[in-house]
Amino acid sequence: MVSTSTELIIHLMNRAGFGITPDELDACSLMTYEDLVENLLNPSESAHISDDILFRDHVDLHASRSGVPAYWAYRMISTQSPLEEKMSLFWHGIFATGNSKLNNLRTLLNQIEMFRRSGTGKFDDLLIKLSQDPAMLIWLDNQDNLNESINENYGREILELFSMGVGNYTEDDIKECARAFTGWSVANSEYMSLMAQKDSIWPYGRIVWHYDFKPGIHDVDNKEFLGEAGPFNGDDVIRIICNQEATARFIARHMYNFFVADEVPVPQWKDTPPKDPAAIDTLVEAYFKYEHDIKSVLRVLLTSDFFKESRYQKIKSPVELVIGTLRLSGEYNDDSKVDSSIFGVIAESDYMGQALCNPPSVEGWHTGEEWISSGALVDRVNFASQHIGNPDNDGVKHILNRIHADLKNDTHTIGELIESCGNSVGITRISGDTADGVLDLFTQEEVQTNGQDTDIAIEDGTILRVLEFMVSSREYQLC
Amino acid sequence: MATQGLEQGQSLRYVRTVGMTTMRGRGFYYPIDSAMSNSGRLYVLSRSFERAVSDSMRVTMLNEDGEYYGVFGSAGIGDGQFRWPCGIAINDQNRVFVTDEYLNRVSVFNESGEFLKHWGSGGEIDGMLNGPSGIVFDQDNNVLIADSRNHRIQKFTSDGEFLQSFGEYGNGDGCLNLPWGLGVDQQGEIFVADWGNDRIQRFTPNGEFVAKYGSPGRQEGELIKPAGVIVNQEGYIYVADWGNERVQVFGPDGEFVQKIRGQATNSEWAEDFLGVNVEEAGARERANLEPDIDYFNDDPHEESSHIEKLFWGPVSLMLDSESRLFITETNRHRIQVYERDN
Repeated sequence: MVSTSTELIIHLMNRAGFGITPDELDACSLMTYEDLVENLLNPSESAHISDDILFRDHVDLHASRSGVPAYWAYRMISTQSPLEEKMSLFWHGIFATGNSKLNNLRTLLNQIEMFRRSGTGKFDDLLIKLSQDPAMLIWLDNQDNLNESINENYGREILELFSMGVGNYTEDDIKECARAFTGWSVANSEYMSLMAQKDSIWPYGRIVWHYDFKPGIHDVDNKEFLGEAGPFNGDDVIRIICNQEATARFIARHMYNFFVADEVPVPQWKDTPPKDPAAIDTLVEAYFKYEHDIKSVLRVLLTSDFFKESRYQKIKSPVELVIGTLRLSGEYNDDSKVDSSIFGVIAESDYMGQALCNPPSVEGWHTGEEWISSGALVDRVNFASQHIGNPDNDGVKHILNRIHADLKNDTHTIGELIESCGNSVGITRISGDTADGVLDLFTQEEVQTNGQDTDIAIEDGTILRVLEFMVSSREYQLC
Repeated sequence: MATQGLEQGQSLRYVRTVGMTTMRGRGFYYPIDSAMSNSGRLYVLSRSFERAVSDSMRVTMLNEDGEYYGVFGSAGIGDGQFRWPCGIAINDQNRVFVTDEYLNRVSVFNESGEFLKHWGSGGEIDGMLNGPSGIVFDQDNNVLIADSRNHRIQKFTSDGEFLQSFGEYGNGDGCLNLPWGLGVDQQGEIFVADWGNDRIQRFTPNGEFVAKYGSPGRQEGELIKPAGVIVNQEGYIYVADWGNERVQVFGPDGEFVQKIRGQATNSEWAEDFLGVNVEEAGARERANLEPDIDYFNDDPHEESSHIEKLFWGPVSLMLDSESRLFITETNRHRIQVYERDN
């Protein structure tokens, strides 16, 4: 059996990162749990694959005209600051903005970069940056939100999906909120909207959008919003929103769903209580105690008992499964491994139900069991076994060498091989069904009698078969 | 446009913009290098990418006024096709040579774009290639190739017969790190855009180290990942300072002279497009395309993504017979032309 601390490290890195390689596990084992959490929260250098190399080899990534999911994938695979990327993914799922409408991927990439810079700061600041983010403004039509004729779209979604949740405000609050955001627009909105609608790249490619406040169309009159009155603008409205307990509860539940255990989809939150109300209370208390500072709430979450005890209660999202597998297999993780095949590889996440930069709607993705359709499950299993079963991949070669070193003798029991292979791919609790499945891989008659105690020769082919089976197991789908 | 200590007639002045983006036919799609024949015909190499339509990866033939002569090449691995095309050069017999970083070969076409042959193969030993990028002909009509991932420069005959190699991986004098663009001056000295080392290196025709210019940074005279280099008749060195989204001019001894950030206007082809698409033309006319923006970082890449007239991905440089400078920009799919301010 692995020690509790090893299990905890794997759990932490699954949730706050994209899994852990055996070498990373060795390094992390030398640190206390609290230090590990602090390192994740306060990374020094992401040390990801060089943008210059990516831009030189993949010229379309240079202008971010296309391929942004692949660009982000390179970053997630190679970063030494996985929580930074995980938080960007977290906010991308909540503030879901899709290029299908924007036709301007670089503007959307800048939104993701904004999540990196501001995703663990004060929630108020993040909401202001989001409300001035040109991708979001076009996505929710706020360029058409005028003092003479309001467009409620952004005013509605910031309350319903980005902060408080349904049931905590009135239709009048939505209108007043929208009035406060009149004039929060995008520069050259007529030309930029037209190019987006026409999918025009002419004459010289996309022009990236930027925020522009237009005082001439801003409603400066008095507003009544969530029980307060004044000539509010967007900043004022966000301040009021962020002081609401409903906002704290909404963000807490999202963080619980993303980092701790799968919840029901957001539309059901109004009628379905949280899975662990006490945990939500703890996070809400931290939200107010630390003045809406997301990093502080994250620290409370990652060091809590409810987090430590939540192992294997989440289904990996497609991005988590794909990126975690590629980090393990050692592909696309340094300057020498830049290759066009990345585009097809990250598209696998689309087929599994999560296309980065193209969420199904402003509501984002439904998570948990909804990731697992029968087709998606086949894709997930095939993807993992294909990449971990390929001994040409550097990460797989390394795992083979480590298992050989770990199992020093030429012969070991099947049980020992199962445990070693499981640990190598981040599985610390192997079910009876999975162990029985591994036994079925072996044809020796004595396996029928001795089961996992049967001695076998430790050879690359045997190890690879067990590794492939492990990443095809139910356990590998969970984290 | 900043200048310093210019000799008479060395200042660069914007002339015009050539080309526009199209995925097929008349236009460019992520152009990565350009060359000009003796007759003044421009050959613009569109890198494109594998997921785009096959015929977006091509060489477009035109003249500076926008007269279009057709295209040749497409994506693939067959004769006359490209996968990661990177450099283009024309010899004194108007044969067109195109390097391919992925296929590790050089394809040769006649002036009309008919495929003649290809040569080269992947590997590390002398004469083999690993990521051939920049290409230029020397005064003896031999071809120099930046063998990028082997971190060296190789010289071949026009038929692909290996002649010489120099450079090795490193950052010392004469060492190279992913070299890209190449230039040859009037004396036959070879200038290398030492991309990974953020500098230009100068070598004798035999490959002996002479000098290095530039150091990493964004200040005047500093370079970030230079992609192209060319030298005019008076020995002034033009550098496509790719990572700084600008072109810099250095004097014959490497002293900083001038930097330019781009001043693109509508090309003939852009005017044609806007003349037909009047709705876009109207909205474009009413837009402020030179806004004042607070950027979230100081990387000129970000500024260039917002301000259309600025260089975005200036990658290669070419001089015509009148010493005018043609600057190919990958991300804006065009060429900006500058002339000396005589």
